Amino acid sequence: MREWIWIGATLVGLGIAPSSAQTAQAPFTTAQAAAGRTAYAADCASCHQANLSGSGEQPALAGASFMAAWGRRPIRDFYADISANMPYGRAGSLDAATYQAITAFVMVANGAHPSSVAFDGTQTTPIGSIANGQIPADIAKPKAPRVDAARAPAMRLGQTLVGDIKNYTPVTDAMLVHPDPKDWLIYRGNYQAHSHSALDQINAGNVVQLQLKWSWAMNEGGENATGPTIHDGVMFLANTSNTVQALDARTGELLWENRLGPIATRAYSALRSLAVYQDKVYINATDAKLYALDAKTGKVAWETDIALPGRGFNETGGVIVAHGKVIVGLTLCRGQMPHCYISAYDAQTGAQVWKFTTIADKGTPGGDTWGDVPDDMRAGGETWIAGSYDPELHLTYWGTAQSKPWMQASRRSGTAATLYANSTLALDVDTGKLKWYFSHAPGETFDLDEVFERVLIDHGAQKTLMTIGKAGILWKLDRVTGKFIAARQTVFQNVYDGIDKKTGRLSFRPDVLAQKTNTWISACPSAAGGHDWPPTSYDQKNDLMIIPLDQSCNLMRGHDVAQHTGSVQTEGEERVFFMPGTDGNMGRLAAYHTADMKPVWSFQQRAPFLTGVLSTDGDVSFVGDYDRVFRAVETTTGKTLWTVRLPTVVQGNPVSFAVDGKQYIAITTGLGGGSPFAKPSSMLGELHHPDHGQALYVFALPDQVK
Amino acid sequence: MATMRWTILIAFAATLSPSLAQDYASRLTAVAYDGAMRANVQGDGHVSARLDGNRLTVTGDFVGLPSDAISVKLYTGPGIGVPGPSIYDLALDGTRAGRISGSVTLNEKALVALKQGHLYLQLNSQRAPDGNLWGWLLPQHDFAGSDVPEAGQGFLPQLDVPGNWTEK
Repeated sequence: MREWIWIGATLVGLGIAPSSAQTAQAPFTTAQAAAGRTAYAADCASCHQANLSGSGEQPALAGASFMAAWGRRPIRDFYADISANMPYGRAGSLDAATYQAITAFVMVANGAHPSSVAFDGTQTTPIGSIANGQIPADIAKPKAPRVDAARAPAMRLGQTLVGDIKNYTPVTDAMLVHPDPKDWLIYRGNYQAHSHSALDQINAGNVVQLQLKWSWAMNEGGENATGPTIHDGVMFLANTSNTVQALDARTGELLWENRLGPIATRAYSALRSLAVYQDKVYINATDAKLYALDAKTGKVAWETDIALPGRGFNETGGVIVAHGKVIVGLTLCRGQMPHCYISAYDAQTGAQVWKFTTIADKGTPGGDTWGDVPDDMRAGGETWIAGSYDPELHLTYWGTAQSKPWMQASRRSGTAATLYANSTLALDVDTGKLKWYFSHAPGETFDLDEVFERVLIDHGAQKTLMTIGKAGILWKLDRVTGKFIAARQTVFQNVYDGIDKKTGRLSFRPDVLAQKTNTWISACPSAAGGHDWPPTSYDQKNDLMIIPLDQSCNLMRGHDVAQHTGSVQTEGEERVFFMPGTDGNMGRLAAYHTADMKPVWSFQQRAPFLTGVLSTDGDVSFVGDYDRVFRAVETTTGKTLWTVRLPTVVQGNPVSFAVDGKQYIAITTGLGGGSPFAKPSSMLGELHHPDHGQALYVFALPDQVK
Repeated sequence: MATMRWTILIAFAATLSPSLAQDYASRLTAVAYDGAMRANVQGDGHVSARLDGNRLTVTGDFVGLPSDAISVKLYTGPGIGVPGPSIYDLALDGTRAGRISGSVTLNEKALVALKQGHLYLQLNSQRAPDGNLWGWLLPQHDFAGSDVPEAGQGFLPQLDVPGNWTEK
């Protein structure tokens, strides 16, 4: 820090300016900028990166993209923006002096020079008149990674408790194909991603008697959006900071704990799932490492890198184990080589078996769908949620995220499909060979990706795959061939104005096609999605798919993109607004028959739903929301039967299991979670929640049911 | 749901006849904003509108503006939820809270825009002169209420308002 102040002071003292574009006096002091650098490292760098380059949905705060977004606006607007929305998940929690200091540092990071005038949050100096987007070398390439140490919880990494679980039964392939209802072995309940429990002890008639049996505080400091895995009365929990814990599922007693690390900060730190197979527990860490832990002791059996370390790759979507292989995706791929990929590892040894790259380069199949975009500028295609699996067809099904930059005009790829972004992929489980793909939204341009759960449903002899993405369009495909069968809109959307009923090809609203960079264009739903990562549930008995939906819109403006390797980010900015026709309700829960795609029931509420849905054979479904409500609804009608208010946002994946003949329901509270969490934080100012309180709650009926 | 769609379609067809009126409504909420704009685009409101022939009569109210209202107008864009230019002025009575009223004769283009849900009302204020609250005029429809399930999937503008979705 002292060195930086010296450099800054020297530059100012010598009157050296990196660009002649700076003409106005910068209204902040050296001391403010120095304080801002410290505060930025503590409260901002985990999302926006130490060099302010941005990451995923978190925009760059320095360079051309920042100047495109902010260059014409007064410095007080930037201050007001971060004061209202930041830090992520703790909006408005810093004092005014800290926000002012961070503003000063961000200006310095864009080439502005301090002066003797202190920034007090009111100055209207245009940012473009004091900054030029040229990032000082010591900020562009920090000497060492700056961990936001001030906000990371103090935590000793490593195994803190070695387990000694007796009578653990290895999980076989047969058990995964036909899970015992008392277990929850796969993150979506079964290979078909139904998120359904065949348990029926808790039913529509007695659910009102549910009571808390035990709870478990989870780590603070990172995002939490997980769901536990249960086998033989042992609960395996993917806690934040890449901590894995085994708990007695009946009592909540800790059996073992291994803090793999790295310690979570804020963005992209939610581990959605882990997997169990044979005598091991498998988990991807957020730094794109894959671990196998001994299920009885928690000790590391093997570990391997999913991607090259230190390149910024990340993985939060979780893993599945299928046919003896651990299969995992990859996220935060920014136009660097290699691109994002799905990869499989031998469950016993950790050796990589296959890899399928989700972005097609020139000269490879699908490579011509990016137009003239250079290979190292092709980005996106992340896999935010682990796939599903059909053991009979021997295929694993994965969704992929949108291509980046978000907008066609920034990407310069027109309406080309940019394969294999926004697609369903059917991969041979043993070889990773692509059996078929379906491109849901060729040319997608508003961060409306189609990356979420792939639900496998049989309709008689017809084997289908159903999925729903951010546009809120429920898709039905033939999962043998990938052929389009049907589509159904579930929320208001105005991006597409029609569909070819034979092919499923969507057509864009004309003004979307005519887009230009640096021009606002409207999109409903917003980037929070009509549907996002909180998954659906499928109740086979009633042929009902229950879908958590989200209702908001945005204006989006795409920037021109710097053309160099690794530079590709979202390159867009958003302004949010409430969705027309919703009366200000952001949450919608809806049920559809999957055979004919007809809607059965729906209801709306102010708060969006931030958990997946769990349906059960007791005709009760569970879901949680942003306003801290965890509820049970009658599966066939949507009528609310039971609610409980938890300490903070209910976020994660509810599961059900049984121990000693008693059925339990488990759910987590959590913060973070990307756009679905950020949008209500910005739009629903009357709904409050603590910025801590991540925990696991386990409910059951009283021991003596009335 | 099917009943509601038929009701709306019949009502839409009825607007072709000058003798039958069609009702529209909207909730006024903040215009598209970022964090820097947020403090200046607070507030809430409701409007109702009746189309009789090509005469549109609008009434409504608003509350909670952070600065005094300065104008209220009808605008049209290329889609529901897609902003565009203003086409008619309405009357304003009040500052931080008040009433909206007006009666305008729609030209043919504006009439089509209204029937397609592309017409919206925007209230501008001193600290948000380019928009404080807005709301798209959509056919009056039933809403079961917050947390109350309804059969079918409820009102979806692109399906329930003609001219916004085609299947071929």
